[in-house]
Amino acid sequence: MTRPAHPHAMQPRRPGRTRTAPPALPDRFPFAGRYLAYTLFDLTGLLYLAVGFLVLRAVWALGNGPEAWQALREQFANPLYVTFHVLALVSVCFVAVRFFRLFPKAQPPRIGPAKPPPGPVIHVMLYVVWLGVTLVMVTILAGGLF
Amino acid sequence: MSPAAKKTLVVTRFDPDRDEAPRAQRYEIPVQEDWMVLDALNFIKDEVDGTLSHRWSCRMAVCGSCGMMVNGEPRLTCKDSLRQYGDTISVAPLANFPVVRDLVIEMDGFMQKLESVKPWILRAKELAVEEGPMRQSPAELEEFKQFSMCINCMLCYAACPVVSNEPDFLGPAAIALGHRYNVDSRDEGAGVRNEIFRAEGTVFSCSYANECSEVCPKHVDPAAAVNQAKFNAVIDWATGLVLPRGGAK
Repeated sequence: MTRPAHPHAMQPRRPGRTRTAPPALPDRFPFAGRYLAYTLFDLTGLLYLAVGFLVLRAVWALGNGPEAWQALREQFANPLYVTFHVLALVSVCFVAVRFFRLFPKAQPPRIGPAKPPPGPVIHVMLYVVWLGVTLVMVTILAGGLF
Repeated sequence: MSPAAKKTLVVTRFDPDRDEAPRAQRYEIPVQEDWMVLDALNFIKDEVDGTLSHRWSCRMAVCGSCGMMVNGEPRLTCKDSLRQYGDTISVAPLANFPVVRDLVIEMDGFMQKLESVKPWILRAKELAVEEGPMRQSPAELEEFKQFSMCINCMLCYAACPVVSNEPDFLGPAAIALGHRYNVDSRDEGAGVRNEIFRAEGTVFSCSYANECSEVCPKHVDPAAAVNQAKFNAVIDWATGLVLPRGGAK
């Protein structure tokens, strides 16, 4: 048998008279088979937490003048920071692709009289919006808009 | 008929009167090319070891009785050909359920959860016979049809990581069936069920692992039902703030 699940998982409100063996976890949870993608999806939250702290640090540096900002930029050029940011980018892409795949079928068949568009259309719309937002951000960062 | 090949089944055994914990037992048996995993288990039961206990009934993926973990994956054993596996196959009771004996799981917890979502048509007032049948268009039927295909085999519960960790979680099949009636145009009990769905341990405990839909042998897509139910439960709550509630009580 595999590792135990919560001892009361799927227990009836009042246990029967027969002694039962405790429930087992699914064999492959959490790091094998399809569970790996789910676990990684959830673990990316830790990465975003770290990114959030770095953003706060960048804001703090901005508020402390050009020297502080320049020092932060030099720190961010460190290969460790670069690797971290590449990892964060890969995580965002991974989460987005998984989310976009699952999002269309989570739409209710209708809201009042209105029906959502078909799944493939929602799918395409999500990618178009993602691409559009990315292009706007890149244009801003390149100094093209402001 | 071609000579029978041999396969080894590693079956999880548990006798509540003798065993402290479940144990594995190996059976090397001759198998026919067209056998399902259930046929192999029935062969063991009939010809090798009559003490083996497992549930089965229809043999055609309709009754939902023969769900087990086959090589670690929740499967309907009557639908699963032996050909798709190697020479050694492990068969265990469904994960996430207490085990009564060998491959037989305790179902009462599931039945109680299922009943709690009131999986039947609720009406504010029953139609009189003279009023004729309740009519439903094909488009209305399409909105819930796939969710009504559930055979209560509980494979989705065996795959769900939330069921593993939250004993009070209603689980995929029960929520899918509740949602199936909520979107049925003949039903007027959505208000009642949405109140159940907004409680702790129901739809909002789902973290959308999507495992339930991956393992469903009838392609019901319970993950879609659970996440649609989340949306409907919120809309129902918001409209309830400004509009009087109708429907069944």
